[in-house]
Amino acid sequence: MSTTRHHINRQRRRQARETRPAASATVPERAEDAERAAARGRTRGATAVLEPTEAATAGPPTTGDEPKAPSRVRRRPPLLVVLCALTVLLGGFAGWAHAKAEGLRSEPARSNTALTDLARTSEIKGQVAKAVNRLFSYDHTDPEALDKAAEDLLTGKAVDRHRELLADVRERADAQKAVITTTVTDSAVERIDGDRARVLVYADQSSVATSGKKTKASEKTAQDEGVYAAAMLAVDVVHRDGRWLVSALDTFGR
Amino acid sequence: MKRAVRLLGTGRPRPLPALALALTLAAGGSAAWAGQDWYRAAHDERAAYAAQRDAALSAGEQAVQNLNTLDHRELEQGLDLWESSTTGELHEQLADGRDEFAAQVKEAKTVSTARVLSGAVTELDDRAGRARVLVALRVTVEAADGAKTDKDSRMLGELTRTGGRWKLSALGQAPVGGTSTG
Repeated sequence: MSTTRHHINRQRRRQARETRPAASATVPERAEDAERAAARGRTRGATAVLEPTEAATAGPPTTGDEPKAPSRVRRRPPLLVVLCALTVLLGGFAGWAHAKAEGLRSEPARSNTALTDLARTSEIKGQVAKAVNRLFSYDHTDPEALDKAAEDLLTGKAVDRHRELLADVRERADAQKAVITTTVTDSAVERIDGDRARVLVYADQSSVATSGKKTKASEKTAQDEGVYAAAMLAVDVVHRDGRWLVSALDTFGR
Repeated sequence: MKRAVRLLGTGRPRPLPALALALTLAAGGSAAWAGQDWYRAAHDERAAYAAQRDAALSAGEQAVQNLNTLDHRELEQGLDLWESSTTGELHEQLADGRDEFAAQVKEAKTVSTARVLSGAVTELDDRAGRARVLVALRVTVEAADGAKTDKDSRMLGELTRTGGRWKLSALGQAPVGGTSTG
């Protein structure tokens, strides 16, 4: 930068020397005008807001240079100032608009695609309903089915939670030779956030005992031929290998 | 003089204005891009739908909670809140049965407090202004003798948008057994 400016300054000085003798009558007058204008410009520039920007990019003319090339001082700043101001303004707007757009996009309402992505919403609903039906149904004649379901459909901390929830039911069902069938009656997707989702599920659990004794389903006492118990739970699922696996079961502290 | 001017114009390379112009053009380009990106983000139909979904859900959860909360000592306020949370048929039912119900609660001296455990929207018709929600609710009823009982409710609510606000137009519990068709 400094070498270029030196070069320019030297060039200007040479040009000034060349032009001075040729323009004998007109130049002094003009030079005076120019100097006055330059002085005016300088005093104005001292208070102008954009002055530092201009000075930074264009580089202030050295003091020795000024009287020799006054027209340069007068003509160059406006173009650069305008360009710089435009750059700053446009750049500022670009940054601001970008921030606005990002702000809008990161709104929680948008990142949740429940219902806005209908295909995904119904896919999740369908798979969760099937998963809950399998995970909470138990036939004492086929205990492996439940183990298989747990293996297929559960992941993470849901594995332990499911075992905990079902241990009691399993024991009782074995003792009473019961068949427990769970059917999801209503479900709604609370939230879909990429490959994670949460679904609120209402399910009915019916229990049919074949031993002819008293039957229990969930917390309610029952008659011989079977009973329905109401259940509600929130299921967290994650998308893995094209399927939705249950990663958490929330029974709301029950 | 003329020659000198030409010399000045052509002979000297002008890297600074060229650079400044390039920067300005680049800034202009990114400003245009960012501007239309912002416009698109602000006029995203999905986003408007998502906002309606969230508005319907929060209004639904609040209304369901309101309708399951009642303190016999602040009966009038509670019942006013019931009426302001509802619209349509449900609103009429509540308004018609208000006196009778108030008398019952005064007699029983109960305090019911509801807490929303979880809620989600099942259906949303943005244009018609109708929505259906599931709200899992835990209601604590405190009897006159101070005994507290918790009861979980599986609520099904229907919301209607009136005057820009979502209000409950139907409310019931999910039926248990028999009607389960999947």
